[in-house]
Amino acid sequence: MSRRGDLQKNLFGGTTSNARQFGMIFTLIAIIAFFQIMTDGLTLTSGNMIALTQQYAYISILSIGMLMVIVAGHIDLSVGSVAAFTGIVVAKAISEHGLPWPAGIVLGLLVGALIGAWQGFWVAWIGVPAFIVTLAGMLLFRGGNQYIGNADTVPVPEGFRTIGAGYLPEVGPDTGYNNLTLLLGLALCAAVVWREWHARRVRQRMEGAEPAPLWVSAVRLAVMVGVILFATFRFAGGRVGTSFPVSGIILAVLVIAYSFYTRNTAGGRHIYAVGGNARAAELSGVQLRRVNFLVMTNMGILAALAGMIFVARSAASGPQDGLNWELDAIAAVFIGGAAVSGGLGTVSGSIVGGLVMAVLNNGLQLIGTGADMVQIIKGLFLLGAVALDVYNKKQGRFSVIGSLMRPFRREPPRTLARDTSTRETEFLPGR
Amino acid sequence: MRTSLTKVLAVGFVAALVASGCGSERRESGSTAPEKGFAADALIGVALPSKTSENWVLAGDLFTNGLKDAGFQSDVQYAGASTTVADQQAQITAMITKGAKVIVIGATDAAQLSTQVAQAKQSGAVVVAYDRLITNTPDVDYYIAFDNFKVGQLQGQALLDGMKSRKATGPWTVELFSGSPDDNNSGVFFNGAMDVLKPLIDRGEVVVGSGQTDVKQTATQGWKAENAQSRMDSLLNSTYAGDKTLDGVLSPNDTLARAIITSIKGAGKPIPIVTGQDSEVESVKSIMAGEQYSTINKDTRKLVAETVNMVKTLQAGNQPTVNDTKSYDNGVKVVPAYLLPPIIVTKANAAEAYADDPKLSPLTK
Repeated sequence: MSRRGDLQKNLFGGTTSNARQFGMIFTLIAIIAFFQIMTDGLTLTSGNMIALTQQYAYISILSIGMLMVIVAGHIDLSVGSVAAFTGIVVAKAISEHGLPWPAGIVLGLLVGALIGAWQGFWVAWIGVPAFIVTLAGMLLFRGGNQYIGNADTVPVPEGFRTIGAGYLPEVGPDTGYNNLTLLLGLALCAAVVWREWHARRVRQRMEGAEPAPLWVSAVRLAVMVGVILFATFRFAGGRVGTSFPVSGIILAVLVIAYSFYTRNTAGGRHIYAVGGNARAAELSGVQLRRVNFLVMTNMGILAALAGMIFVARSAASGPQDGLNWELDAIAAVFIGGAAVSGGLGTVSGSIVGGLVMAVLNNGLQLIGTGADMVQIIKGLFLLGAVALDVYNKKQGRFSVIGSLMRPFRREPPRTLARDTSTRETEFLPGR
Repeated sequence: MRTSLTKVLAVGFVAALVASGCGSERRESGSTAPEKGFAADALIGVALPSKTSENWVLAGDLFTNGLKDAGFQSDVQYAGASTTVADQQAQITAMITKGAKVIVIGATDAAQLSTQVAQAKQSGAVVVAYDRLITNTPDVDYYIAFDNFKVGQLQGQALLDGMKSRKATGPWTVELFSGSPDDNNSGVFFNGAMDVLKPLIDRGEVVVGSGQTDVKQTATQGWKAENAQSRMDSLLNSTYAGDKTLDGVLSPNDTLARAIITSIKGAGKPIPIVTGQDSEVESVKSIMAGEQYSTINKDTRKLVAETVNMVKTLQAGNQPTVNDTKSYDNGVKVVPAYLLPPIIVTKANAAEAYADDPKLSPLTK
């Protein structure tokens, strides 16, 4: 294998030496660089990065749930309506019935779970295709939103707004930065270093596997730590009173939890099995109904959370909340490399997909592009990104995202599954 | 060779990244220094709703040109047609990031912008609510609009005058339409019209055929023509299925008025007196053809010109003129407002009313 191929393999974890594999990360970097230049450095200012995180947190939360739905071979068109419905229920309960706002959040999650369970029931037990069930849900809950809210806008109190528009408090000595954000960044650096070290140890102990050369680990760590430190200083260095947003923290926690669940637990792998081949999965002992039911219920809960975060950010629940969110979430998942037929895709891929769309949107707005052109460009981009991935797969290469996400995966599965296709790697975590 | 090159590049990249990240932009929020104006070529942001009515399209063009002529840089944005609120929030945030000194906002949802408006305020920008008052926030500085309560009163009066001209004495049967419930103006128009109509309804001289007189029942979600048309269709099929006649329809604007007329024509009924607002081209044609009865001339040119004047005054560091400091309570504070007088237009005075309008005056000849 050539030197270059070796390098790529070591740094990114791909097994073929084609730069296209890393398309989406490179695309993201290219888009950021492009807009950074076009906007005279506005894209990577503290203020803009904080705003970007707040703007896209709720869509990303939706795309986590949507990824699982799509991997299981379904689709959910109702998320926007469910978010709007939950939003108005919570806003009304808090502002008109005197419910304390933390209880309001719990109520919202419960409502989301109930709606999700309702849709899951039709999908899993009655066998109505999710497309139809959620199309019905889209109408049902949009109407519900307008029925309950009288198509009116209902404001929410200050405390509740924290989850959508809030920041970490300013504590400790005056360092010129937000101290809590600095701590978060340091913790993240420590976690990255620990994981790299842990992965090397595992490989050292494994028979027949040798750890990557030390310098590779060092470079990989340096790049990741560098990016994290850069982001940390930017998020911590905004206007006094701002920091890494609360909604961003909620998103980060969810990404870590759901990545772990989908990758490292039996329940998570069952979703991939069902999406890959439902019949085979069932014969292997996967409880099909249970998986489908849980996936839909989970989507309901995440849609509710996204709805509440948007309401909190907007300071009010309105009749147009959640319009077309399903499309944004679905686009993020597919740009992130999921397969329409199910069984393929990762949580982190969807987040990157969403981030690409968000940066594109934000950059175009900073340049001053009209909403009409923004939509045209986003549409073409979605088509192009997915077409490229499909083309690559047809050529027998790895899918862009499949390889993209490898460095974030635990090491053992990678070695075991080295020579199998992506699809199989996704099914069999090598346990 | 390649390896060491990569090492050097990687280390250099990381060092550059971290170094550039360190630059803190920290400063105290809400620069409390007294407003002393700003640069004469500063950026002025204008965030308008989606292009659902000719008026907003015209306003956008006028702002772009007006601000340019006044020497400012302008950033005029429309929200997308499908995701209006989220779009507008993002656009306002982008304007703040770009350092706009004044942000003029025609809100898509008047109650869902408080977070962005607060950010604007903290960044030191002046927030002007254009045409639609932004509610539930202390951070709106000025409101500039036509006197909307007066618009409603004029519409109510025109409806009565029109019906009287066809049938001298009542009772007259009418139906009421109002605008989108998420637009603060809808209620103001409706209340203005009811200020004129309510006494007659109470006396039985004006009868609302369907009995739907509540602003919730008469609402037209999103100011969308299709919603008004389908409501009129249902009313015709339920209330006016027999030979019951409809004398007048209160419509809050021209787009909805034409949708209502389309519905009535489709049902094969004679066209009643239909009011309107905004002086849209199609409606002026309709008025001249004797279909729609009235519209309101709220000259967007004047409103935009006044807004640009306000921006100029702010640039010089002076207090803009306001003429109403008590009517426009947004739920948190009373916003100082500059109101322009609206003019009612029927076939009778159209030529005179649009004499100065290059686009509309040829239609009235």
